[in-house]
Amino acid sequence: MSDLYAVLGVSPEAFEDDIRRAYRAAARRLHPDVNPHRGAASQFREITAAYEVLGDAVERARYDQKRRQQPPENQYFTLKVTPSSRIVPVLSEPQVLYLLVELVPDFSLTATNAHLNLTLVIDHSTSMNGLRLERTKVAAHRLIDQLTANDVLSVIAFSDRAEVLVQAAPLTDKNAAKAMITTLQASGSTEIYQGLQAAYEQNRRYASKNFANHIILITDGRTYGDEEDSLALAQRCVAEGIGISAMGIGEEWNDAFLDRLASTTGGTSHYINSPNVVQRFLEERLRLLGQAIVERVTLSLAPDPDVTVENAFRLSPSAQPLSHESDPLMIGQILPRLSTSVILTLQLPPIPQPGFRSLIRLAASGDVLWNNRGAYQAVADISIEAMVKPPAEERPMVILDALSKLSLYRIQQKAAEAAARGDIREATRKLETVATRLLESGQTELANVAMAEARRLSSTRTLSEEVHKALKYGTRRLLLPSGE
Amino acid sequence: MKICPYCAYSNREGVLFCEECGQILYTEQETTPSTKRLPPGTGGVSAKGGWGTARFNPSATILLQIRDNPTPIEIVPQQETIIGRYDGSTASTPTIDLTPYGAYENGVSRIHAAIRRGEDTLTLVDLGSVNGTHLNGQRLIPNQPRVLRDGDEIRLGKLVCHIYFKTSN
Repeated sequence: MSDLYAVLGVSPEAFEDDIRRAYRAAARRLHPDVNPHRGAASQFREITAAYEVLGDAVERARYDQKRRQQPPENQYFTLKVTPSSRIVPVLSEPQVLYLLVELVPDFSLTATNAHLNLTLVIDHSTSMNGLRLERTKVAAHRLIDQLTANDVLSVIAFSDRAEVLVQAAPLTDKNAAKAMITTLQASGSTEIYQGLQAAYEQNRRYASKNFANHIILITDGRTYGDEEDSLALAQRCVAEGIGISAMGIGEEWNDAFLDRLASTTGGTSHYINSPNVVQRFLEERLRLLGQAIVERVTLSLAPDPDVTVENAFRLSPSAQPLSHESDPLMIGQILPRLSTSVILTLQLPPIPQPGFRSLIRLAASGDVLWNNRGAYQAVADISIEAMVKPPAEERPMVILDALSKLSLYRIQQKAAEAAARGDIREATRKLETVATRLLESGQTELANVAMAEARRLSSTRTLSEEVHKALKYGTRRLLLPSGE
Repeated sequence: MKICPYCAYSNREGVLFCEECGQILYTEQETTPSTKRLPPGTGGVSAKGGWGTARFNPSATILLQIRDNPTPIEIVPQQETIIGRYDGSTASTPTIDLTPYGAYENGVSRIHAAIRRGEDTLTLVDLGSVNGTHLNGQRLIPNQPRVLRDGDEIRLGKLVCHIYFKTSN
């Protein structure tokens, strides 16, 4: 049960007048008639529901009594929001403000050994033949070794058809599951939708609020014509509480598509440049899922009508661009003693007058797996002060650090976009810029990759898929706290 | 509007890294002080007498004993171990961050010096620091490596430390 007072942003001792005023203020900002943002509509519905109880003396008394009888609920996680500057200048033109949004878990929550409901989806098309498929099999075997009988596993093999190798069930016979994977032979072409569809059917059988439900897709091929169907399926996964992570081996696969698949569901997409590291990525994924204390974390964004969210990027526990066209954003998991963080880029309207103004209301929700406590929500309402001459202030290091790396990722994307529309001169220049910036930050290896490609581009006229993926996922990985 | 000094792109107010080229758009002073310049002739430290061995066992580690600090820093030497202070504003990170030892107050540059591995020796190189690197009292010429010996005294700005080779057995 969410705390209605927190939803409305008033104290439990508030007078009737205060409650009415809080509701009216929220309505002026978030009512669908004045605010076109999708998140505003859904958050306003919640606020209205809270007001229907607290705004009515009889209902409120009944709610208060119920509230008193319950033990005070733990704050499983809190929202900590740091703006790039605390005071913005009064300005007649739009300006940009960054917000670092951290979902900080209560430090007393330790690893749960969350029960996993995992579905492995393995591409066994012809191109996987040889080392790729063999390493994937080994990695799958290692994964099975690490699971327990409390975990549910299913395995799908797909090419242009899907085949259920291991039916979803608690993993009691590891050897049988491994044997099924060993039999896998390469043949056929890649149709991701087939694999995902079968995975969805298997995973949902055990999908529950107390599990970390996840589909892990391993592929090396480009799928044709079924991208939209796959993304629609990803939406159905979200509805059932299932996340999707994707690992692309080699250069052929469609990175924009796999990114969207993962971003839509709160998962992560990875580039695997050599079959030898499949295992490492799979283990990393398993570790993250297995430790989760909160799953299916979402972040709803309700900016004021004149504020726009331009961009959202998850920094931790794994770096991933988030799709913010739909609300809420799917964030994934919160791990013990580690904040899950997202950086938002906001555009503020012209601010003609000094003073405080509201910016955005954030609502983060998730299923607390720790002791199966269920749904929990934290809300934050962010406002900022504007001054004619704001004093010089120290920029928060965390934001500077994240933005400097994020800007590398963005320029690299611009290089790819320029190359895609045939503007080789612009693409070359952007690649050189990326190389320079990478060199400045001590990433010599990645810098050399960018530099070599910038030189090659004038003759090849197209950005090589390998370099594109190496740079895209390489710069993304720089964002991880460990800088791996 | 903020014009990028690097690529002349017009960025909106509040943008911290140029949206076109990634150039830092906020000024350095706003965030971190740069290396403090010390008056010349400060911190006179005398050269130490006697020489330790210059031979560095490949499996050994280095102990860096910073003056007035009870516990030495143990370093597993890389091909190049960069000593300096991390401040987050520049993307470069030294391998050994001396911030907790009063690096800023003592005039240690962000990228101050490096210890490099040779065949079976170690060398110390000043990487163009503001207040200089002294080896046994002598100021090093930037970018010219000097062989390190067990027990040598290194001074980074005003921060004095001793280096010891620790053989693991």
